[in-house]
Amino acid sequence: MTARRSTDHGAAGDTLSSDTQTATLTSTSTPMATPLEPATAATSSTLEEPPPEKLSDVRRRIWVIVSFWLIVLLLGLPIWWKTTTIHRANLPLKEMLDWADGKACRPVFPLRISIQANSLQEQEAQNLLRLTQHALDDLNDFSGHHLRLQLSSPAAAQKQKDEPDTALTIRLLPGEAVTATLDPYEPVLDITYPPNAAPSATSASSTLATYVAGQLRSTFAEEQAIISYLLSSNSIPSDYRPQGLTPEAAESLAKRTTRSLKYAPTYHLTFSLFTSGPLPSSWDIEAAIQDYMKPVLDLLSPIHNFTIDTQVQLYASPGVQNQVLSKDDLSSFINAAEWPLSPSIGGAPTVNFIVFVGNQTIALSSQQDQDAVAEGGLNTSQSWLIPQWGTVYLLSLPHDTAHVSVDALKQPLLTFTSHLLSLTGTPNSGSLPLRLSTLSRIRSADLLLRASSTLGSLARLALALKSISIPSSVADGVSKTIVHLRRACETLGEAEGLEHARIAEAEAERAFFEKSMVGQLYFPDEHKVAVYLPLLGPVAVPLVMGLLNELKAWRKRRREAAEKRKAKKKE
Amino acid sequence: MKLSNIIRLPALLGAMLLSTAAVVEAEHTSNWAVLVCTSRFWFNYRHLANVLSIYRTVKRLGIPDSQIILMLPDDMACNPRNAFPGTVYSNADRAVDLYGDNIEVDYRGYEVTVENFIRLLTDRVGEEMPRSKRLLTDDRSNILVYMTGHGGNEFLKFQDAEEIGAFDLADAFEQMWEKKRYHEILFMIDTCQANTMYSKLYSPNIIATGSSELDQSSYSHHADNDIGVAVIDRYTYYNLEFLENEVRDTSSKKTVGDLFDSYTYEKIHSNAGVRYDLFPGGAEAARSRLVTDFFGNVQNVEVDGSKNTTLEEDMLALSKTIAALRKKADEEEAISVGKEKSNAPEPETDMKNETLVTHKSQFAKPLTDDNWLMKKLSALGAVVGCAVLWQMGSWLDPAQK
Repeated sequence: MTARRSTDHGAAGDTLSSDTQTATLTSTSTPMATPLEPATAATSSTLEEPPPEKLSDVRRRIWVIVSFWLIVLLLGLPIWWKTTTIHRANLPLKEMLDWADGKACRPVFPLRISIQANSLQEQEAQNLLRLTQHALDDLNDFSGHHLRLQLSSPAAAQKQKDEPDTALTIRLLPGEAVTATLDPYEPVLDITYPPNAAPSATSASSTLATYVAGQLRSTFAEEQAIISYLLSSNSIPSDYRPQGLTPEAAESLAKRTTRSLKYAPTYHLTFSLFTSGPLPSSWDIEAAIQDYMKPVLDLLSPIHNFTIDTQVQLYASPGVQNQVLSKDDLSSFINAAEWPLSPSIGGAPTVNFIVFVGNQTIALSSQQDQDAVAEGGLNTSQSWLIPQWGTVYLLSLPHDTAHVSVDALKQPLLTFTSHLLSLTGTPNSGSLPLRLSTLSRIRSADLLLRASSTLGSLARLALALKSISIPSSVADGVSKTIVHLRRACETLGEAEGLEHARIAEAEAERAFFEKSMVGQLYFPDEHKVAVYLPLLGPVAVPLVMGLLNELKAWRKRRREAAEKRKAKKKE
Repeated sequence: MKLSNIIRLPALLGAMLLSTAAVVEAEHTSNWAVLVCTSRFWFNYRHLANVLSIYRTVKRLGIPDSQIILMLPDDMACNPRNAFPGTVYSNADRAVDLYGDNIEVDYRGYEVTVENFIRLLTDRVGEEMPRSKRLLTDDRSNILVYMTGHGGNEFLKFQDAEEIGAFDLADAFEQMWEKKRYHEILFMIDTCQANTMYSKLYSPNIIATGSSELDQSSYSHHADNDIGVAVIDRYTYYNLEFLENEVRDTSSKKTVGDLFDSYTYEKIHSNAGVRYDLFPGGAEAARSRLVTDFFGNVQNVEVDGSKNTTLEEDMLALSKTIAALRKKADEEEAISVGKEKSNAPEPETDMKNETLVTHKSQFAKPLTDDNWLMKKLSALGAVVGCAVLWQMGSWLDPAQK
């Protein structure tokens, strides 16, 4: 007993154990002295009992055991608890899920449209406005996308135009017939009307008003369609209820979403000249970009930034060598194994524009393509678009061309430019200024939805994976995201909305992809036993045994004391 | 222009929208491959050859290197025991050098760890990670995940040092699904008791297949006597055989079902398993997927029709607008700048001075200086605490005497 005690105390090795060791030494020294005395009696069968322990020794031993247990319970347990618990910052889970389900924000795009009717009387104009608004409201079956008309007085016309949140201006001009044309330079819709078509100040209906409403609807039809497609594919409940379906339109919309790149604040454009032989070896790409692409890049600059690099690769063989390429060949035309097409410069996604010098042609074989041929009068094509990736243009040049001039690059660059617009997700219909403002609205809706769904993913993940740690930076990111989402939701349809949506999306991504939220996520219980047992087992055995022994001794002493008392009473 | 037509158009356009989401089966737009070997050392030559031969196949079928993540824990080509330095072969006929001259290993040597693998899948990487080492997939990406190494019941060993559990893998896939990081996944694993590795998966749109059942070993196919070790595993060998013979280019119409049907016990010497239940539409839908949906790079190209001349006009119009816009913006800027200048010319110079000053003061600084005081205080506390403990000890000691 004493030997065991001395070893386990010796292991602790601090000031406490040093007193206990002296204690055990003294306690062993007393029995050591005694065995000599009853040496003769040892021949008898009964084992000699050691003399009773001193009361002070017993008390000291109790103190020792109690102090060890106190250290374990007060110091060891809290340290173990503290160091092994997984830090999980509090996330506003309910709010995050609300955002993901579309409960927190109802995306509404109020578009302000001002009407300039300089030739109409004030009251006539007011009446026309009222009637048109009525007609619009009757037509509208998607309340999230709302057109609101307002009349701009001639004096304020100039000022109105400067206001950025006016999506479209309608200029009503007297003319011979009812016509509508979109101004190509500005977001202006010119509508002419014969003098008799203008409604009087009191009339209750007007064909002109219906016409204007119809024009407006068709101008914004694509935007509306895209936005409600976005909302529905993100399972945001909207009160937009369709009645039927045209497969072609559905397909074109789905195609549009597959084609366009995921939003990124910056895109990297790579212009590559591939040639199968040694020539041409240089090209005027900088001048060509400056002439044919820069204007569009400038126009897109409020929404995206662009970085550009160019390369020339000689002796590049395409993946398909056929003279006439069928549509199936096109998908394997790019020799991905050998062409250096992914520069991975910086963090921006790359859009590839390839000019391949060669005399290969594309055969349009499908029925749809045949129709296009019939209309266009050409039976070949030079370029194709690869969704979310870029464009390839086959440029045929005379054999000895060593230098590709700006003129030769004009057609490829113009093709690239129009493809860039569709790759960034610009809608196809309408005048360019209108298309760009639509793009910014679509992108802010897109970003808003993506940030919301990221929040939802994070919340569901936090609920599902109990053992994943959530550092406080994630909680920060989430709260920032929510603040910006709220602001974006309030200012949807304005330039500010895009900015907030962009920040919200970036923050949400950063929170979700927090670097420290990894590690071995899952530990089976067997693993825990295997880790703790070899460590804690040897420590726990003497501790527990010491406590049990002492308890036993204490009970024995109590019983003895009780018997003694009884015996005394009997006496 | 007819009035009624105009009014109907938006209604029609709008009409298809909601149903679109349900009806149109979203196609994938990019293909990615994650090819992982988890064992090192010369006698595991065959595992590296497995991975490299799958790498060669997906590259042959058009997946570019930027969309292949290749993890190789060891370099067999440069191993001093390699009788054919600089090469790796997966067949004793040594017809195709898998190492070749165009190979891009993304994670090599001791970079191949469970943590890095999970980081790759979940994209929880630092800013410093180059794009080529990241899995930049989205909800339109099909991913082929191929793993090989030494495994057991519900785990796969990484480099003799650690292991990935079936639960870890399932959770990683679930995180990918939550973040919409894949469209469909084909998970292939060639290891002992491989089928247990995919038994815990629970995320949708995954087809999983493995080489052997619980308590079954996965065997090597044959050894090359000159190289001196086995060069390929049976399961991978017969996968490759199918891919080489039946799927010659991206236009192949062979389905995943055809590939799975080619597995027999006689060939593989273990029961290859397939799991369809995570796939919407079950076995039928999963089996009808093309092999090239996962092993090839399928691009749905859009061919331009004939040239449209309106483009150029558009462009000209554009340039004009921009000229106008720029002019206006420049004027406004000039006005505002002028105002600012007249209002406050001095602060600007002050600002310049300040920036100069801040530029000068470049000395070493801690990366984060939040809680500086607390850190110092706690350090002081610890020192004082130690001193007190020592004092107490030496005070107790003579007290004993």
